Amino acid sequence: MGSLKTHAGDIPSSSPESSSRSANSCLTVCLVGMPNAGKTTLMNALTGGGFQTANYPGVTVSLLKGKSKQEFGEVVDLVDLPGVHSAVSPSPEEELSCKVLEGRHPSVKPDAFVLVVDATQLERHLKFAGYAARQGKPVVVAVTMNDLLPRLGLELDSAKLAARLKLPVVAVDARSGEGAKELLQSVREQIEVSSDNELALLPSDPAEAYKKVRQLIEESNALRQTPGDKKTRFTDSFTTKVDSIVLHKFLGFPIFFLIFALLFASIFWFATPFMDAIDLGFSYLQKFISASLPESIITDFLAEGVVGGVGAVAVFFPQIVILFFLMTLLEDSGYLARGAALVDKPLSLLGLHGRSFVPMLSGFACAIPAVLATRAIPTKRERLLTIWIIPLMSCSARLPVYSLLLAALLVDEPSWKAGSALAAIYLASIIIGSITAGVVGKLLYKKRSLSLLAMEMPAYRIPQTKPILKITWTRSSSYLKKAGLPIVVVSSLLWLITNFGFALPASEQTSNPPSSSFIVKSDIDSSVAAQIGRKMEVVLRPMGVDWRVGVGLLSAFAAREVFVSSMAIVFHVTAGEDDEEAQQVGLLEQMKKATFANSSEKIFTPSTMVGLIVFFFFSLQCVSTVAVVARESSWRVATAQVVFYTGVGYLLSTLVVQGLRLAGVN
Amino acid sequence: MKLLETTHNEWYVIERLEGPDEDCRRLLDLGFTPGEEVTVVQAVPFGDPMIVLLRGTRLALRRREASWIWVH
Repeated sequence: MGSLKTHAGDIPSSSPESSSRSANSCLTVCLVGMPNAGKTTLMNALTGGGFQTANYPGVTVSLLKGKSKQEFGEVVDLVDLPGVHSAVSPSPEEELSCKVLEGRHPSVKPDAFVLVVDATQLERHLKFAGYAARQGKPVVVAVTMNDLLPRLGLELDSAKLAARLKLPVVAVDARSGEGAKELLQSVREQIEVSSDNELALLPSDPAEAYKKVRQLIEESNALRQTPGDKKTRFTDSFTTKVDSIVLHKFLGFPIFFLIFALLFASIFWFATPFMDAIDLGFSYLQKFISASLPESIITDFLAEGVVGGVGAVAVFFPQIVILFFLMTLLEDSGYLARGAALVDKPLSLLGLHGRSFVPMLSGFACAIPAVLATRAIPTKRERLLTIWIIPLMSCSARLPVYSLLLAALLVDEPSWKAGSALAAIYLASIIIGSITAGVVGKLLYKKRSLSLLAMEMPAYRIPQTKPILKITWTRSSSYLKKAGLPIVVVSSLLWLITNFGFALPASEQTSNPPSSSFIVKSDIDSSVAAQIGRKMEVVLRPMGVDWRVGVGLLSAFAAREVFVSSMAIVFHVTAGEDDEEAQQVGLLEQMKKATFANSSEKIFTPSTMVGLIVFFFFSLQCVSTVAVVARESSWRVATAQVVFYTGVGYLLSTLVVQGLRLAGVN
Repeated sequence: MKLLETTHNEWYVIERLEGPDEDCRRLLDLGFTPGEEVTVVQAVPFGDPMIVLLRGTRLALRRREASWIWVH
C-alpha cells in the first residue's frame, strides 16, 4: 500500500477537497464510461448521495466528487468523469476524460478506474472499456442497466464474463446499491495485485477490437437468451414504440412543443411564490441590519449594497432549481436526446448543432447555466456560435424590466395586450437569435456545419428521484457560486457610486484619493453615477432618455432587473419601499411626470419606451454572463460579445426612437 | 447501396465507410465496422436525422452521415 499513498499524495492540493484528501491519503477512483452508462446513478449509490461538484485546477468542467460510504469498507474518493462516445475527435467534455485516462491530466490523477458498462450495449461499452484498460491503471468493470436486459429477452452472468476477461466484473444495481460494496472491494484488490486482462489486450484498430470483444462475449457464454422468451434481434421494443410516437411525422413536433411549453410555464408558475418569499426575506434582512447595527455608512453599505446584491442573485434561484430539475428529469427519461434530434435539422442549417438546443432553452431562464451547458457540443465552432447567441435568449432577469416598460407603455390598456407583447418579445428572441446565428456563422465560417451528429438515443427509463434531486442541487448551487460573486461585487460598487459624489469636479477623480474629503456621501443627484450619467447624456439623447435613465442602464450591468430598483431611486420614488407593487405604481407615476431638465419635454414617450425595450432585448448587460463566457471561451469572445450586443442595442434603439418620431409617434 | 437509401426496419451488412477521414474514424469507433449489421428504424419529422440501430444501440445519424455508410 505504501507506493499507493505516494500516488494519492501526487495530487496538487490546489482545491480544498484535494488538500484534505492528501491529509487522509485515501485512494482516488474515477468512474468512466460512455454517456448514459449510468455513471452518475452509480456515483449516487457508492457515495450514498454525498457528492458535490469540485473544481480541479485546469479543469473548466466541474466534476462530481464524493467519498464512498463508510459501510462499503475503507473510504475512497470517487470522481465521476464526463461520458465519452469515442476518443476520436472528442468534444471538450470527452477530451477531459481522455486526458485523465491517458494520465495526461495535470491535477486529476486517479489510482484506479471503474469502467461503467451498460449491460444492454455490452459490445460498444466493452470496446470503450478496452481503450481505458490499455492505459495501464488498475481497472474494474461495473455492469449497470441489468434491469433493462429482460426487455431484450436477455440475462447476464457477470461471473462468467469476469472469468473470460480475467478481470473483476461486478453487476451493480444503482437503485438498491446492490453490488456497490463488492465493487469497491474489487477495486482495492485490483490496486494491490493488478492482473493482465483481456480488455487491455484489445487491438487499437476499432474493427479488430469489436471483433475481439464479440468473440470474448461469446466465449464467456455470459449473455444468454431468457428461456422461452423469443425476441427478434434483441431490440428494445418498448423504446421503439415510444419513439414511433414522439418522433412521429405529425405528432412529433406538437408533443415537443407541449413538453417544452409545460416546462416553461412551470418555471414561471412554480417559481413565483418562492421568489416572492426570497424577496421578502431579503428586505426583512436589510431592515434587520439597518435596525440592529449603529447608524453609519457601513451599515447602509451592508444593508443596501451587499445584502441587496445577494438578494438580486438569490431571487432567481428558484427558477434555476426548477429548470435544472426538469431538464435532468427529461435527460434521465431519455426524451431530451429525442428533442435534440428533432431540432437538429433546422439548427444545423443555422450552423448550430442538435445539442445547441439545451443551452438555448436554458438561456430563457438564465444565460449562465446555458453557457455551461454548451460543453456537450462536440465542435468548437458550433459551441462558440451557440455561446454567441445565448445572450439573445430572453432571460428571466429581463422580465421585471419588460413588465415595467410594458406597463408604462400600455397604461389603461387591457392586460392581454401587455401579455401578447411579452409573448411577441419571447418569440422575437428565438427568431432574431436564429438569424444572428445564421449571419454570424456565415461570416465566421465559409462552409456550412460539417460536424458529426451520431448522437445516442438512450432507452426510455423511469427517472430516479434521489439522484435527480442530488444532481439538481449540485448544478444549482454551482450556479450560485459562479453568478454570485460578480453580481455582489458590481452591486456593491454601484451602491458606492450612487451614494457618493466627488467634492471636486469629476475630472479630478483618481483611483486612490489622498483623503476622504474628496469623496462625500451624497444623494443620487450629485453622486458619481449621476456625474457619469450626465457625461453620457450626449450619447443618451438620441435614445430619447436623460442621465437618470442612463444611471438605470449602468446599474443594470449588475443584473438586468436592478434597472427597476435603481430607476425607483433616481426618480425619488419613496412610496412602498418593501412592496414591489406599490413601488411600481409610484415609479409609473414618476415616469409619467418626468421631463428633461429645464424643459417640459416628457422623457417617457411611447417611442422611448419601445426604444428601451429594444435596448434591453439586445444589450448584454450582465457581468456574470461576461465572466462565465470569458472562462468558457476567451476574454476576446466575451469582450466582442459585450461590444457587439450593446452596440447593436444602442444603434437599433436609437433608430427605432428616431424612426418612430419621424413616423409621427411621439 | 448507401444506408441512406435502405428500407426502414430491414437489416443490412456494412461494406465500407466513404467520407471525411476524421468523421469516418469516429463512426468506425462508434461501431460502424465493416461486416456489422445495421438497420434504419425511422426518421424524425424533418426526415433528418434518422434513427439507426447498431450493436443494440440507437443512434441519430444525419442523412449526410448515413450516405457515407455503404451496405448490402
